[in-house]
Amino acid sequence: MGVKGALSRLDAKWLVILGSVGVLVIFVVVPMVYLVINSFIVDGVVDFDNYKTVYSKIVNWEALMNTFKLSLLVMILSLIISFPLAWLVGRTNMPGKGFFRTTFVATYMIPPYVGAIAWTQLLNPSVGFVNTMLVHMFNLSSSPFNIYSMGGLVWVLTLFYSPFAFITISRALEKMDPTLEEAARISGASPLRALCDVTLPLMFPSILAGGLLVFIAAGSCFGIPSIVGMPAQIEVLTTRIVTYVYMGDSKGIRDATALAVSLMLVANSILFFMTMMLGKKDYVTIGGKSTRPNIVDLGVWKWAAVAVAVTYGLVTVFLPIASIFVSSLIKTYSQPINLSNLTFENWLPVIQSSQFIVPIKNSFITATAAATISTVIAVFVSYLAIKTRAKGRFIPDVLSTLGGATPSVVIALALIITFSGNLGLNLYSTLAILVVGYMVKYLTMSVRTISASLSQVHASLEEAALNSGASWLRTCKDIMLPLIAPSIVAGWFLVFMPSFYELTMSIILYGAKTKTIGVLLYELQTYADPQSASVLSVLVLIIVLAGNLIIRKLTKGSVGI
Amino acid sequence: MNKRWYVVVALIAVVGMMGMVFAGCGSSTADKPKAGGGPTGTVMIYTSIYPDIIEKVKPEMAKAFPNLDIQWFQGGTEKVVTKISGEVEANKVSADLLMVADPSYYLTLKERNLLYKYDAPNRKDVVLPKDEEGYWTPVRVSNMIIAYNTKKISAADAPKSWQDLLDPKWKGRVGMPSPLLSGTAFVTASALSDKFGWDYFTALKNNGLKVEEGNSALQNKLLTGEYDIVIILEENILKMAGKGEPVKVVYPEDGTVIVPSPIAIFNSSKNKEAAQAITNWWLSKEGQQAIVKGWMHSVRADVEPPKGAPALKTFLEKAAPTDWAKMAKQAEQIKETFRVKILDK
Repeated sequence: MGVKGALSRLDAKWLVILGSVGVLVIFVVVPMVYLVINSFIVDGVVDFDNYKTVYSKIVNWEALMNTFKLSLLVMILSLIISFPLAWLVGRTNMPGKGFFRTTFVATYMIPPYVGAIAWTQLLNPSVGFVNTMLVHMFNLSSSPFNIYSMGGLVWVLTLFYSPFAFITISRALEKMDPTLEEAARISGASPLRALCDVTLPLMFPSILAGGLLVFIAAGSCFGIPSIVGMPAQIEVLTTRIVTYVYMGDSKGIRDATALAVSLMLVANSILFFMTMMLGKKDYVTIGGKSTRPNIVDLGVWKWAAVAVAVTYGLVTVFLPIASIFVSSLIKTYSQPINLSNLTFENWLPVIQSSQFIVPIKNSFITATAAATISTVIAVFVSYLAIKTRAKGRFIPDVLSTLGGATPSVVIALALIITFSGNLGLNLYSTLAILVVGYMVKYLTMSVRTISASLSQVHASLEEAALNSGASWLRTCKDIMLPLIAPSIVAGWFLVFMPSFYELTMSIILYGAKTKTIGVLLYELQTYADPQSASVLSVLVLIIVLAGNLIIRKLTKGSVGI
Repeated sequence: MNKRWYVVVALIAVVGMMGMVFAGCGSSTADKPKAGGGPTGTVMIYTSIYPDIIEKVKPEMAKAFPNLDIQWFQGGTEKVVTKISGEVEANKVSADLLMVADPSYYLTLKERNLLYKYDAPNRKDVVLPKDEEGYWTPVRVSNMIIAYNTKKISAADAPKSWQDLLDPKWKGRVGMPSPLLSGTAFVTASALSDKFGWDYFTALKNNGLKVEEGNSALQNKLLTGEYDIVIILEENILKMAGKGEPVKVVYPEDGTVIVPSPIAIFNSSKNKEAAQAITNWWLSKEGQQAIVKGWMHSVRADVEPPKGAPALKTFLEKAAPTDWAKMAKQAEQIKETFRVKILDK
């Protein structure tokens, strides 16, 4: 081990980090920054007029407030729901944990626009299935629920985005050093007390990371607000932004970007705030001596826990999925749902037709590529931010949030403008531009998940390996990666899933030969039968669940959701 | 778990990315010319025509243009327009032909010198107003009409006109697509506000009008009975009625909103010969029959109306006036007025 060895060790480390940051800058930052710059430079002259007009409109401020309120409510509700569920699944002896773990993230495997339509069918005030049923059962004078309301919007958004919080938190819970909890228990604390005083505070980074993900996802989502919020006359930022984009000229694009900037700012200031809060304390929970976390014996409460989990699963997962499944079997929407109105005929053309094969293949390739590249970048960007002392180490982390907080339609425009050859790289109408789009939008998912988990790994482990003569790459491979492996898998999945059925960007970026599942779903939903769209959604769900199961079996349970 | 896995994955990711980038750059179609004449090469059509219609038309066009590789990009009008906005911004329009459902957009494109003038021979048979210089020509006619669920409302009871929708008995039972997100709804808002004044929409709002994202959402909600009456595209309802669903079209006595969707060639087209030939084909009797099979009306007088619909001329004269130039110039104001008057709480 001489000076030379130390140098090459350093080189490998910084080369890898630089490479990751480079990819991040070229494919994520450049398009977003280019678009933002374009929004205030008109014909070579700096012009903030569109910012003035956009931000002088009260409706846009109301939309901003609505978005903020909505995202905050969804975030809080998601955390309140997810933490107990994650704890039950990860740290107790509740029966059927594996099953519940998959169940609680299953809503994440349903395309949100399909799920939102399912919920409107269940809870609309005039003929909603659940509403009419409840009215019949309890002889009510009017429908108890109205999905077209702020409450309805919060409900649907929470169901679709709380899996972010669940996945992030449950992964971190599993890798937690049990000795701290044991110390509390030995000192006489009850399991509940240990949970509140030790586990909960230690989980703070992951809880915040999960919360932020929910916040960003809810704030930048267009599908659910347009389906559920529109009839309730609730405007959010994304619906305003899309309105500007649909003006169909360059002024519309600039106005949309100007408005989108506020969403980026909100997301990044929350990220900043969060980092400040975390910066003061030490959250290291994965030390050198950790064994597997201890399991809390729930005793007789075990079955109460199961009852809670089953109820939650039934209402939030089973109900919408059943609704989608029944929709896929319906002959006609104009008849009541009974056996004579159900058929498997909708399934035949879908299963037999080859038009479904290519989009499924394309989506699989692009989502896998996007998830894998994002995960690799996320590991090193997180490492840079958390484990090094380099100046400006948080900048790439912050930059990865830019895309996540931007509505997809704006990202699609940014990519068309930057990657159609003007800046030397032409990806237009290729699968690559879709991969880049998904990366821009979802990279922040894996960065947040992985960096939260990295902040809980003690530096001593890495130092020990380095001191024993391992190269930095070897240390990464043998020490860091295994320790944060659950988060890496979670981060990968969090990018893969939404990319797999992504609609808004794909519909604008797809080319003649690169049709994806999202595009096909949109076509079926809009032009053909909504039944076929339901069939495809059910198929997607089956593919993902089966894939998950196979991977879990192959890796003996170490990889999978 | 094998720890080498991560390194392998990282390598695959980088190589895969590179591979895709280069594959994307290098891809080109080199089909050998087949027997027969006509234009060659490739041509790209951006359209909002429904995918099932395109699938039906493909074999016919392949017969008419055996040596041409015709590619399609299909999406709702707003999505296609968004894509084009991005391409115009990047100065790289990849479409040769445009067939979307917003006539006012063509005026904007023409004014910005993005269109190519072509006086197709078949234009003489087009009976609807067309661009005098030949920059755009109507190729299909969609109509915004009133539709109702026949299980809920009898034919005698059904509304006959736009004004009838203000009847208190329909309170809270009527839906329409949002002009802010749907092109055809925008045309409707513009035409009806010109005809009746914005008071009409205010009155509709006071009568419990619900605004939805687009035509397809309304179509399904009309079927399920969530709405009894909707303002919607005629073709959606004709298609549903053709399947035996309990829905029916009303051509409002006080003026159907007629949307003649044009076809146009982009100035930047690299295959103008093919684009011209295709334009002429769409305006031919054969091309127009494909339109009618897609539940839209033909722009020619010598082609039958779609199944279940009256001839265009029976409601053409009473049509609500549509000021396309105003819509092109004042799109933002019209949408904003609608939003303030109707969508604000």
